Amino acid sequence: MTSAIELAERAVAAADGDGVEAVVQAEHSGFARFAGSEVHQPTLIENVSVFVRVVRGNRVGAAAANRIDDEGLRDLALRAGEAAEAAPEDPDLPALAGASALPDVEGYDEETAGLSPADQARLAADAIGGAGDTPVYGFFTSGTATVAVVTSAGFAAEQTSTDAVALALAATDGASGYAEQTSWAVGDVDPAAVARQAFELAKRTANADELEPGTYRAVLGPYAVGELLQYFAFDAFSGLALLEERSYLAGKLGERRFDEKVSIADDALDPQGLPKQFDFEGVPKQRVPLVENGVLRGAVWDSTSAVRAGGSRQSTGHAPPPAFRRWGPLPFALSLAGGEAESIDELVELVGDGIYITRLHYLGIVEPRQGILTGMTRDGTFRIRDGKLAEPLVNLRFTVAVPDVLADVPGLTHETTLANEAAFYDERFAYGALVPALATARFDVTGNGGAPGI
Amino acid sequence: MRALCEEAVAAALAGGASYADARAVVRRSQLVATKNRRVDQVDDVESEGIGVRVLVDGAWGFACDRRLDETGARDAAERATSFAKAAPGIHARALAPVEPVQGEYRTPRDQDPVDVPLTDKIALCLSAEEAIENKAVKVTTAFVRAMRERKVLVSSDGTAVDQDLVECGGGIEATAADAELSQIRSYPSQHEGSSAGAGWEYVLGLGLEREAPRIGEQAAALLSAPVCPAATTTVVLDADQMALQVHESTGHPTELDRVYGTEAAYAGTSFLHAGDLGSLRYGSELMNITADPTTPGGLGTFGYDDEGVPAARTAVVEAGVLRGFLTSRETAAKLGDGGGGSMRADGWSRMPLVRMTNLHLEAGEGTLDDLLADVDDGIYLETNKSWSIDDKRLNFQFGTQVAWEIKQGKRGRMLRDATYTGVTPVFWGSLDAVGGPETWVLYGLTNCGKGQPGQHAHVSHGAAPARFRNVQVGVASS
Repeated sequence: MTSAIELAERAVAAADGDGVEAVVQAEHSGFARFAGSEVHQPTLIENVSVFVRVVRGNRVGAAAANRIDDEGLRDLALRAGEAAEAAPEDPDLPALAGASALPDVEGYDEETAGLSPADQARLAADAIGGAGDTPVYGFFTSGTATVAVVTSAGFAAEQTSTDAVALALAATDGASGYAEQTSWAVGDVDPAAVARQAFELAKRTANADELEPGTYRAVLGPYAVGELLQYFAFDAFSGLALLEERSYLAGKLGERRFDEKVSIADDALDPQGLPKQFDFEGVPKQRVPLVENGVLRGAVWDSTSAVRAGGSRQSTGHAPPPAFRRWGPLPFALSLAGGEAESIDELVELVGDGIYITRLHYLGIVEPRQGILTGMTRDGTFRIRDGKLAEPLVNLRFTVAVPDVLADVPGLTHETTLANEAAFYDERFAYGALVPALATARFDVTGNGGAPGI
Repeated sequence: MRALCEEAVAAALAGGASYADARAVVRRSQLVATKNRRVDQVDDVESEGIGVRVLVDGAWGFACDRRLDETGARDAAERATSFAKAAPGIHARALAPVEPVQGEYRTPRDQDPVDVPLTDKIALCLSAEEAIENKAVKVTTAFVRAMRERKVLVSSDGTAVDQDLVECGGGIEATAADAELSQIRSYPSQHEGSSAGAGWEYVLGLGLEREAPRIGEQAAALLSAPVCPAATTTVVLDADQMALQVHESTGHPTELDRVYGTEAAYAGTSFLHAGDLGSLRYGSELMNITADPTTPGGLGTFGYDDEGVPAARTAVVEAGVLRGFLTSRETAAKLGDGGGGSMRADGWSRMPLVRMTNLHLEAGEGTLDDLLADVDDGIYLETNKSWSIDDKRLNFQFGTQVAWEIKQGKRGRMLRDATYTGVTPVFWGSLDAVGGPETWVLYGLTNCGKGQPGQHAHVSHGAAPARFRNVQVGVASS
């Protein structure tokens, strides 16, 4: 097969327009999903898709296909051209990306790329065996994902990334614990250890109590922090949401709204995350400060939202994959800076009286402008008493304004964890949030759900 | 495509599979979206490939390939077989027996939605957006979508079916904002509008332009509306919100794979147990839920599911009692009842899962005004805004875009940021009225997520407005 960049170049050459952009996404992946300690949704995927945008005057249209022979590319170019002809003129159409220097990033590992289906099944078996007789539910997956972007304005680049994720829920009737590991190098992922960690947590969750709804001090483990932050960020840190006044940051930029211990960035260059060189428009990635010492600093932008913002605003390299393009720029490499606590136990001690939350479930955005989210806790929720983890709790309904959660933060762990945030819909695009555990003075519990466990 | 599927099945059997099926899919989908009277997106996406599922020594394997040729078909079969052989442990998965079928199905349509010119689609969106016109509205959006899918399934049991499916839909949205608030209204449903398994006539019948002024005015009015107060009270939910209520609190919990725990790590399980069938009281006697993949216009309407099981209407809840699960051949065999019929895959690159097809709340009697008339003091809620439910599908909290007080049987003040919460069987137990057939509406949603790797399902729900007593209504935040 031709390389992704060669394919993108062929797609650009096949199209007729004043400007052409081609994005190629190639996936080679394996997913060994298991439940009740048996593999049940094993999936091997091979795909290459080509997305083409054609600009004619001030009109633009797009089409995509996974038929990559010459006839397929000609048909694709034709459909993209027809879409452009059908579109009304857009006076604010951004220019296509030109040639630029790209940052050097890590994110590719030969060993991970070389994993065979048998290796993936073996690593799933390691997880299954890691929890003893306790049934485990989860998956091991690894894959390579290549993204190539070529434009008629002179940008041409290709990046192949690897990723590996082990996720385990150890669960029985009335007890469950959860753990995961994510990295671009499979050597950093130990499925057996993940399952053991889930199992050790599960053992402590039996005979869970209900909790009186109210406002509690809380410690959120890194998986909970990652998910809460990612959901908040979809609106809060999107430049488009800022323009459309649905972002919490609207009208507040430059103000100190969070605890000074809170610093948030989007940093796709960080080797501890899942590094990316450029976005899906061919704009180089960069570290974007979003919150510095509690002060709201900014959002992420793609070229369309940057043009609409006007002035000197430039894309920060946050155009999402073509499937998500309609949602505008999105932060897919969030990081929350660590603090000074040496351990989660230290945060629990700081909180003194409150709750500990391992993981969240099914978050919903209740009100984006105020950053209000609702959801449930699961697989490891505990009461904190006298500075120690105490009795287990049932799954709790919470409805929180994330800015309130971040307004008074007694501490964060020094160590950060890469929490997987990808559910692997559509073309493979691994992403996660690099976050510490966090203690907060305010977490609003609004109801009780079922007991932990299966 | 059938020959390629046969080639793949033969290769899988030759490789040691005791069962194999192959699906070849060619899908074309279009999306036209406009925002603030500019084209936001015009996409035309084609995707094709073959997915092969095998059982080897009782273990599943699945692999797919984008190449719709003999090499792609054979490679996918061989990789699926080898992945199944590599599965750790001892497996004994079995399938409920079904009669092999040979058949075809075609979605009835007057006008193929993909063939409608893009210029017409753009013009429809722009005219609908223009009609929203309201000074307080900062963002207007409109979109239409169209999809055509040819899908061929061949199994080693002798089934071979060929289906030609189309769907389309659309929606409009208005977001009003001031210095403090942002409020949204949409039509005909929440964020992704509504779609149907039908021709372009469905989109034209939505009346997007006709409804646009109303949603603009309501979005603006919400900025000055009071927050819905917290109370335990009577609620009346519109048909749209009821569709989501059915989806989340009866659809997902009755998926038998969730009952058996296979979604535990991601989407979650269910408060139901297999032994609850026929005895569990799910709700009041007015609660009647039906799974019906034969419903005209449904997104879950087909001739055969992705295991080749012919479409058939089944009762899920009758007079408040659990009567059926949504099943696959594997889960039906485990249950010892039925033969599947709810297996669906997202395109060619995903393994079929137990999914909703069209799941309906059957109509009762009376109009919306009749439902309101019997409420001295309560809340009427319309159009979903936020949704969340726990991993066992028990504790839920839903928010709606707009609500109104109900006073002495009539709609009163508009309220914003309304949410309600409950526990599934308790909530359905408090159902005391369902609107009649004239209030029953079929909604189609395209964003139902499940599985790892993730899959989107397109499903429909028919629902009527319904009334529930003693429901906890709350504000957005404490």
